[in-house]
Amino acid sequence: MSTTVPPTEAVILEEEGPESSPRGGSGWGYLGSKLGGAAISLVMVILLGFFAFKILPGDPVARIARERQMSAEQIAQLREQLGLDKPLLQQFWDYLGNVFTLNFGESYVYKTSVSSLIGQYFWNTILLTGTSAVIAIALGLWLGQRAGWRHGSMFDRVTSGISLVLWSVPTFWLALLLLMVFGGTLHWFPTGGMTSPDPPGGFADVLDVLSHMVLPVLTMVAVVYAQYVMVMRASVIEEMNADYITTARAKGLRDDLVRTRHVVPNALLPAVTLVFMHIGGLIAGAVTVEAVFSWPGLGKLTFEAISGPDLPLLQGTFVVFSAIIIVMNLLADLVYRQLDPRVRRS
Amino acid sequence: MSIRNRVGVRRALTLAVAAALVALPVGAAHAQSPAGLSVAADATPAPDTSASATTLRIATSGHVDSFNPFTSIYLLPTNLIRYMYENLVQNDQQDGSPTKGLADSWTTDDGGQKWTYTLQDGLTWSDGEPITSADVVYTYEQMLTVPALAVANGNLVSNFASVDAPDDKTVVITLKAPQAPNPGSEIPIVPKHVWEKIADRSTYANDSNVVGSGSFLIDSYSANQSITLKANPTFWRGAPKIDRLQYIYYTNSDAQVQALRAGEVDFVGSLTPTQFDALKGAPGITTHSGEGRRYASYSFNAGMKTRDGQSFGTGNPALADVKVRQAIRQGIDTKALLKNVLQDQGVPGTSFIPASFAKWTLPADDSVVKSYDPDAAKALLEADGWVAGADGIRVKDGNRLSLRLLVDASDVTEQSTAEYFVPWMKAIGIDIQVESTDDDTISTRSVKGDYDIYFTGWSVNPDPDYQLGINTCANLPTDVDGSGGTTQDGYCNPEFDKLYAQQRSELDEGKRQSIVHDMLAMNYEDAAQVVLWYANGLEAYRSDRFTNFSLQPEKDGIIANQAGYWGFLTVEPASGGDAGGGVNVGLIVVGVIVALAVILAIVIAVIRRRRAGDRE
Repeated sequence: MSTTVPPTEAVILEEEGPESSPRGGSGWGYLGSKLGGAAISLVMVILLGFFAFKILPGDPVARIARERQMSAEQIAQLREQLGLDKPLLQQFWDYLGNVFTLNFGESYVYKTSVSSLIGQYFWNTILLTGTSAVIAIALGLWLGQRAGWRHGSMFDRVTSGISLVLWSVPTFWLALLLLMVFGGTLHWFPTGGMTSPDPPGGFADVLDVLSHMVLPVLTMVAVVYAQYVMVMRASVIEEMNADYITTARAKGLRDDLVRTRHVVPNALLPAVTLVFMHIGGLIAGAVTVEAVFSWPGLGKLTFEAISGPDLPLLQGTFVVFSAIIIVMNLLADLVYRQLDPRVRRS
Repeated sequence: MSIRNRVGVRRALTLAVAAALVALPVGAAHAQSPAGLSVAADATPAPDTSASATTLRIATSGHVDSFNPFTSIYLLPTNLIRYMYENLVQNDQQDGSPTKGLADSWTTDDGGQKWTYTLQDGLTWSDGEPITSADVVYTYEQMLTVPALAVANGNLVSNFASVDAPDDKTVVITLKAPQAPNPGSEIPIVPKHVWEKIADRSTYANDSNVVGSGSFLIDSYSANQSITLKANPTFWRGAPKIDRLQYIYYTNSDAQVQALRAGEVDFVGSLTPTQFDALKGAPGITTHSGEGRRYASYSFNAGMKTRDGQSFGTGNPALADVKVRQAIRQGIDTKALLKNVLQDQGVPGTSFIPASFAKWTLPADDSVVKSYDPDAAKALLEADGWVAGADGIRVKDGNRLSLRLLVDASDVTEQSTAEYFVPWMKAIGIDIQVESTDDDTISTRSVKGDYDIYFTGWSVNPDPDYQLGINTCANLPTDVDGSGGTTQDGYCNPEFDKLYAQQRSELDEGKRQSIVHDMLAMNYEDAAQVVLWYANGLEAYRSDRFTNFSLQPEKDGIIANQAGYWGFLTVEPASGGDAGGGVNVGLIVVGVIVALAVILAIVIAVIRRRRAGDRE
């Protein structure tokens, strides 16, 4: 069986090493080190979140003042209101003090607290990206194991070909194309937003949201499912050369059963890690899709905050997006350990 | 073989069951929303259903800080506040001159230091309360006494000494110094009986159930989704002919165009020339190109100075030479630019007051205005001692005539303008180094004086006073980092300042016009900037649903983004127009259900097959 250990696991085994084995042996030690790593990443993100956007060119006040005929006194008043007249270090301390209480200050544009804005828009993003992730993962893994099982076949070539082409397509371009064809020309689906401005009420509200979801979900699925296809396909191909497959076949098991019972469960292992790692990226990748389809989510909030520049909001969404990715990576580590007894044993 | 057959039969059965299952909701959905019904027309049995025909839906991407008339700064809420609250004095439709607002008439005393307004008879707020001079005094006093309430319009009351109400219908504004611009303009008057009950007026969002005096009032607001305004039947000019205005959010301007084509919105503004051309001739859509109120220019760094004369910035000293700036202007073919870059959707520019303000603009046929003449430009530089070097670029006193031009990399107009500008300058012996960067960098560098030339522009209000004011020495920065001022081009000419003071207190409009003209001519000859064009506002609307939009200026003007509230005031449903063209709910439902059915069928098939395997 040892020959079936995929290379990724071998790397993990080596990382743990003989020295760390007393600690690595205990589940708590493993959990602790992973949690510690995640916490350090999060602190770095928070620090970066302040300085990265502070060194961006552009003066938010000058930007706001361009919208209107203002006097120097009004601009000074505005600067004071936004707290931009304080020294940078003072602003940093204020930011730090606030951030650990999950308070990112008040948005320059929306004039409400960033935390409440993020709270409002967070679930819209989760709805969109969650749906896309589920569909993309299901579709990708399913197509991937099929393609891998019959690699080289027409099905494999068509599946891999289409998914790779879609993967290479710029999200923005595909989104606009779908919008133009199915929204502007065919009028099948709405061209933007999450609900109609006057929601129909009742059960029709659900359909209303669903119909608004179709194009953005389609776009997101189309551009990401290829990576699941590829991972699953590669993983299945690798498993197929293993000795236990020959054994299974020798037992007289039907081809489909060999695939579903023996190959797929083993092949799923490396895929799961990847799935979790990509979910984080998928949520962060909502920026483009939300911007094109005017979906009122965190991505759109970020997009607009950049053009502000609405620094507190930008810092808030940056920290949230980063935190999601860190948490997902952490989960990937933990779930992987849970799924594969060999990692635990080490 | 037999096993395979069994599986096949099962799969077919499963699919049939799945299809039957999903057919149920399809039927239900059809019962709820008859096919062909548009989303906008919605399926609620509420009496509002018929309103869809008279809801004008406008696509927007505008920022909203609040709808508070004291603090809101962004363009979109500013426009909506124009609809919600009448000013004492309004900008008229024809050319933006002061006209009746809440005030029926006004007189001036003490050479323009004291303004007395008489309110119209029988004015009421939308809640039925009478509008009196107390409301006007209350509004102005809030701005004068609470700094946080002066953020939006503080500059308009900075010359106010006091505001009094001798009786219910009279308002007297006493100024610190006489002024010609009507002090009752541009300031929305709020109802005292509503606002005095608000505890924190500076943070009040004012985004629902607004009590106002204008044509449309905000009914509801959902950030980044929509803003709904209801017509005010008590508006003194008469109730609008439609029931509602609805602003719908589209982040992307191409998505706005598609929404118009799909009939999800009825009006789209701020189109690019390409989008505008693409919409021409589209069924049910009418495009409109109107004279805008924004100028676009190349601004020169002629040597930035603070108010007390300290130089700062990195400008090439060559531009301090007025002859060089004049030569650059003569080397630019603005007509060709307009044709090639803006597809002729605009008017060639002279100075910084757009041609749509016919009273104040510097006429194109004015004697100071120079036309494109590269030979004259070369001669001008030659006579000034700029001699062409071996590479054709001119040199004087060891200074090579090489200038940096800042261009916004994301702006197609700026990019293509530069493509024409560079060879034109080369032809007269000036080297242009294009620095393509982002908007924020340009904004920061222009304040610090870290540029030679950059592309810029302003939207101008009907009264030219503010725009002239930011060209006076008094608006230069106070600090060498460029802060503390709002100068347009860093321009400072004491003669210009003298004329500025004169026009500001000249109550005779004819005389004031002539002073303003002299100022613009002076600024033109000083060549502080080259105004390239006044771009047209490009708009498009569903003419199959709505008609009778109003323009400002009345002739050749724009519909949205006016300095007034005329655009949607007269709009009425087109005859025979209906909510058609909306999104077909039936189709959507079918599309979604079919997608779900496929997924469901696959899942069931997989499960069934696995179970079938168990049994073997």
